[in-house]
Amino acid sequence: MIELKNIGKVYGKKSNSFRALEDISFKIPSGSSVAIIGKSGSGKSTLMHVMSGLDHPSEGEIVVDDVNIHKLKGKDLDNFRAQKIGFIFQAFFVQANDTTYNNVALPLEIARISHSSRKKKITDALKVVELSDKEKQKAGTLSGGQKQRLAIARAIVNRPKIIFADEPTGNLDSTTGEAIENLLFKLNKIEKATLIIVTHDSDLASKCDIRIYLKDGKLEKIQGLKK
Amino acid sequence: MKTVDVIKRASSSLKNAKVRTILTSLAIAVGAFTLTISLAAGEGARNYTDKLIKSNIDPQILAIAKNKSFFEGGFGGASQPIEYTSQTETVSRPGVRTITVLNQSDIDKIASRSDIEVISPAYNINAKYINSVDSKKYSVSINQYNRGVVKNVIAGELPALNQPLGKYQIVLPEVYVNLLGYEKPADIVGKKVTIHLERTAQYTKEEIQAAINAGPGALQKLAAVESKDFNFDVIAVIGKNITAITTDTNVQIGNDEAREMSEFSTIGTESYQKYVIATAVVKSGIEPEKVKESLINEGYGVQTAKDLQSLLFTIVNTLQGVVFGFGIVALIASVFGIINTQYISVLERTREIGLMKALGMRGRHVSRLFQFEAAWIGLLGGVIGSLAAVVAGSLANPKITDLLSLGEGNFILIFVPWQIVGLITALTLVAMLAGFFPARKAAKLDPIDALRVE
Repeated sequence: MIELKNIGKVYGKKSNSFRALEDISFKIPSGSSVAIIGKSGSGKSTLMHVMSGLDHPSEGEIVVDDVNIHKLKGKDLDNFRAQKIGFIFQAFFVQANDTTYNNVALPLEIARISHSSRKKKITDALKVVELSDKEKQKAGTLSGGQKQRLAIARAIVNRPKIIFADEPTGNLDSTTGEAIENLLFKLNKIEKATLIIVTHDSDLASKCDIRIYLKDGKLEKIQGLKK
Repeated sequence: MKTVDVIKRASSSLKNAKVRTILTSLAIAVGAFTLTISLAAGEGARNYTDKLIKSNIDPQILAIAKNKSFFEGGFGGASQPIEYTSQTETVSRPGVRTITVLNQSDIDKIASRSDIEVISPAYNINAKYINSVDSKKYSVSINQYNRGVVKNVIAGELPALNQPLGKYQIVLPEVYVNLLGYEKPADIVGKKVTIHLERTAQYTKEEIQAAINAGPGALQKLAAVESKDFNFDVIAVIGKNITAITTDTNVQIGNDEAREMSEFSTIGTESYQKYVIATAVVKSGIEPEKVKESLINEGYGVQTAKDLQSLLFTIVNTLQGVVFGFGIVALIASVFGIINTQYISVLERTREIGLMKALGMRGRHVSRLFQFEAAWIGLLGGVIGSLAAVVAGSLANPKITDLLSLGEGNFILIFVPWQIVGLITALTLVAMLAGFFPARKAAKLDPIDALRVE
């Protein structure tokens, strides 16, 4: 369960300040798929950063499985992200000069997973995204769709509780984008990880269990959330 | 993140930028090359000096001078003028300022000590020439026979080590064999040679006045040069020793003959029975350092074989320090190269850093990643530079040995494995330190800002 209580985020100070988020509260049940929807500047990415522990809220608190993540200190917050969170970005952020295998290994290294159990986890993750045959290939040589699948493998390899996907299909053609969407939802069902997608694509949002609409940093409406 | 994973990631990142890595490493390699050569040259020079000392100077030997300050500020030159008293005896030497000297009572006093086996003053002998039967006359320099040094005998036979020469025996250097009319070194062994000395007699005022009164004949007689021939039996011919300190053109005679010749030359002069320096042998089993201390307390200037070694080592170390300094300058330049390279690397990989931090990598691990990259560069540069120095030095060593006539088996560049390993380790650490500021910049990057960078 992820619970946001009166989250607000202000950038800058005094006269130069800018309020990006204001009084946002909702609860997301574990294992659900969630779309955060809104126009550019609506605060989608800021909300994702705050929810994932990459950024601190100015007000309110975020509780994940009974843990107020913004009360965690540096090392514990890093560990929280390493063990509980997976990220998928629009720009893939794969390490082009490294092999597919090593790209997927990165979160396991960061989470200090033992060498002995790494290989199986990586092989399994690559199998799920159908990149087993590209294990030794340099990531830079993969196609856009393959890169995003690699990013997904990297996001799921450590079995995170929550996967944040920031415009995951934004850089892909429609056919490849649809394949990636299907893969994400399939993983959401199989892995039972909470999938939080930040998007302005209403078709993609419509496939999610819950849709959270933001407008000018405020919660406009929530659809699909059972009371 | 485990350190081993950070090191592997750092190595992998460098492989992805091979040209930049190699170029930066080459800058370090220049410093490593110079430093390795400097270390090897220092080691070689010290080793050669050590050989020189050991094969020329008995460790039990002391060099003794009248005054404590004799060995200060270089051989034969006191750093400060000394107070003159009525007992002060001095001699003047060309190029060396007036120095106090040992007299016979000093020699006798030191000889009577229970810890001294033997003492021999350095006799001042001004020989006119040396010749043999029917040969031409040649100039000659005379040394006292050093019984404690192994010599390169090429004909004849020397007394056993630490035994003196017999009465009127002489050891000739090879150069005199042909000059004195013999074909082979063995031919001159057992033959007689003559050393000719001359002196102008010194007279008292009364003697001079008496000669003036007696007329021109007496005065002419007074001014006549007195001469004396000293005949020696050649017992051995010695060749140049590759580790000899002394020149290879000096003949060697026993102490008694040296004294006799010196006294003939100097009688009636201010130099009679005055000695600038004497060498003493400390009895076996007694520490020369202790005897030195005791003699210094009595007011003498004393130098041990170890002191001479230290003096030579100081010269070698100073020269080595100069070369080492150049290496350090090259190293400092390469450190800036590493800093620059790593800053560029941080800028180029900002999004990668952002991703790693987003995935939970701690700032200090990001910092370590860049520091280990710098360390790899240092290690690579150190290995390249040191290996190049070892290869180049090994190839150059025989040529240097020939050029400096050091003799077979003596090399001026000696590579010591632990020194090279130490140097490479030090360079790796220096490179790691150089990577500190770029690494800190990487560690402080905000993941959100880093991920936004285009």
